[in-house]
Amino acid sequence: MITVTNFSKQYRDFTAVKNLSFSIEPGQILGLVGPNGAGKTTTLRALCGIIPPTSGQLLIAGHDIVQAPIAAKQNIGYIPDDPRLFDTMTVWEHLAFTAAAYKLTDFEENAEALLLSFELTHKRDTLVHNLSRGMRQKVAIACAFLHDPKVILFDEPLTGLDPQGIRGIQQAILERAQAGAAIIISSHLLSLFENLCTHIMVLNLGECRRFGTMSDVLSEVGQTNNNSTLEEAYFTITQDNEKGEA
Amino acid sequence: MTPALLRLLMMRLRGGFRQRLIQLTSLRGLLFFLAFGGIIWLLVVTNSTSADLGNLTDAALDRQALSAQISTFMPLGMLGMTLLTVALATGPTFHFSPAEINFLFAGPFRRRDLIIYKFSAYVAGVTLSCALITPFAQAQTGSVLSAFIASLLTLIFVQLNSAVIGMAGQALEGSRLARIRYPLIALLFVAAIATALYAWTAPDRSVFDLLSEFRHSWIGTIILLPYIVFSELFVAPSHFPHFPHLAIWATIAALINAALLAIVIVLDARTTDRALKENARQSDRWERIKQGGSFWATQRTELSSIRRAPILGGLGPIAWRQVTNAARNSFKVIVVFVGIAACVGPLASAVGVPVTDTRALTIIYVFFGFILPRTLVCDFRGDLSRMEIYKTLPIAPWRICAGQLVVPVLLTYVIALTMIVSILVFEDGVVTSVALILAAFALPVAVLIYAVENTIHLLFPTKLIPMGRADFEFLGRALVEFIAKAIVILAAVAASATMGLVTFTATRSSLVLPALVSWVTLTLIGLLTLIVLQYAFRRFAVAETVD
Repeated sequence: MITVTNFSKQYRDFTAVKNLSFSIEPGQILGLVGPNGAGKTTTLRALCGIIPPTSGQLLIAGHDIVQAPIAAKQNIGYIPDDPRLFDTMTVWEHLAFTAAAYKLTDFEENAEALLLSFELTHKRDTLVHNLSRGMRQKVAIACAFLHDPKVILFDEPLTGLDPQGIRGIQQAILERAQAGAAIIISSHLLSLFENLCTHIMVLNLGECRRFGTMSDVLSEVGQTNNNSTLEEAYFTITQDNEKGEA
Repeated sequence: MTPALLRLLMMRLRGGFRQRLIQLTSLRGLLFFLAFGGIIWLLVVTNSTSADLGNLTDAALDRQALSAQISTFMPLGMLGMTLLTVALATGPTFHFSPAEINFLFAGPFRRRDLIIYKFSAYVAGVTLSCALITPFAQAQTGSVLSAFIASLLTLIFVQLNSAVIGMAGQALEGSRLARIRYPLIALLFVAAIATALYAWTAPDRSVFDLLSEFRHSWIGTIILLPYIVFSELFVAPSHFPHFPHLAIWATIAALINAALLAIVIVLDARTTDRALKENARQSDRWERIKQGGSFWATQRTELSSIRRAPILGGLGPIAWRQVTNAARNSFKVIVVFVGIAACVGPLASAVGVPVTDTRALTIIYVFFGFILPRTLVCDFRGDLSRMEIYKTLPIAPWRICAGQLVVPVLLTYVIALTMIVSILVFEDGVVTSVALILAAFALPVAVLIYAVENTIHLLFPTKLIPMGRADFEFLGRALVEFIAKAIVILAAVAASATMGLVTFTATRSSLVLPALVSWVTLTLIGLLTLIVLQYAFRRFAVAETVD
């Protein structure tokens, strides 16, 4: 569903991402982890067509995001870390806008269900600039889910959410994956990955340090049991590399 | 003011100065600063050279005539501004930022000290503004010192005057006196309309004649007395034997300002709660502006949602988003602009200046080419922080660009049509055929204006509001943009006119075919700019964060 081959992104004399290759199948959830400046957001933004890659190929549901952007984007749901919604539009109007942009004719029932699942029904006619950050995040997620995308890209999905919201989003992510969506989550919250992800990729300084299933990555660094083991693995991988670089 | 507040003021001034210096260290900042400085220098030099080259007697006569006009119309203008403040008085009179509220309101300071601190900050800012105004005002007042003093005292008066009016309005809220506000405004509005109608029907008297008569009548002098002091500052001789004139008027002006400041401090104690609420509202607005929203956006929380957006092949949702944006962000502004456009015909007729006059045409161009696009921001420029959303939509870039332009172009066209109808009705020299040609050409010109405006913003994205006073980079950029836009539009109009002329020379028939060729040429150039806009949209780099 998502195939990335030799993807690189260069900003003038700075390499944000270097020769990244991986693929994600339907139902899989990939966790992107790495320190600040590792290239996580750049990878997500390139995958959804916000920034063009310097080199390499990015396929979404079989469509190249550079060669066939419209077809590729039709299959993507992207939730940025800081959801900038349209001020002066209500929650419902955001869903109506998304429906029109993705050419959905019968969206009302689905939209109502999404509002209900994210506890936004009573905020349907509220202008979004009056919502809290967590509520705006939920609106962004509801809009991204409306067209039932085959690929969902989350950038720090839990920022600003209350405990109920966090549980609700985690549940929604699992349900989407079970329904066949390929999902990538970028986050610094390692516990989120432990709960959700089937695969993990550790990025550092724009390069992939480890990529594999969760159990493979954990076993590689000599840890196989569960809680906070990912944290240990993460520090082992990133610190090993830093020593190597030094 | 307490020493701590004085220190804070000094540190903030130093910080502002440092920020300007940092601007100059970047190539872009330096270039825009040089462009701004160069244009100002050119204007000052042109101003003084034209005065030097002209006959001295003529120059003296010109200055006398200008002094007479300032004496007559400046007090009237200031009265008009005061009435407008009474009519529209909302918002805080002295705006405290959220940081100031958190630090200073909770600190060991009296309200009076805080007001004086804020007033001092305003005076510091206004001093800088006056340093910029002085080179232009100097030609009228005769010396740098008098120009500076006159500008400074007048601008301080304007701020304090509006503060007193605003606070008085807040203090009287709910009382019987407050109830007469709107009937009084209505009465004044009716009087203004009646005066304009009388001037229009009376062939030998213009609106200005009537205003001049009012200004010089005894009742006019009494009503305008506080404002006359400030107009006298600009016309009082400042050279040696007559210097006391300026000193006297400056002293009276300073006393008026001091009295107003004292009233502000007294009224502030009665409006503290309201001031806090207004400050919070104002801060929300600024935050919204920083994110690309509008200052005039609706402040309602709930609205009845529009259930569906049109699709129209992808163009619909983008245009629909901007329709809601314009309706909820800029509705009042649009109404005001349509009103202004409707007044152009009667005003030109009353003043006796035909719209074909170069001055009138310049004003109309500045209105459509600069004021309107800067105020009516319902396109890419207001959505730069939301480009992520547009970039991820499965809609072709040209449709997104066209969708962005539809609303501002159509609104501008409606305003232009209103102006054309107004001119057609009130101007004797304009016939229906000319009005129809103008109406036909207004649409491609509007497309051109907004396409160029948006292209520049996407290629060189920048903030929509200046970083406080004397943001030279912002001012320089605005001037450069205005000139660049004027060049493109003039070139397009020239190309269109040339094609029309060539057709006329070739066919020598009626004017219909050359006009049609001109219109098609202009429309094609407009569509060409849309392609350039599409390129700029594709090239636009959404905040190049590299996390």
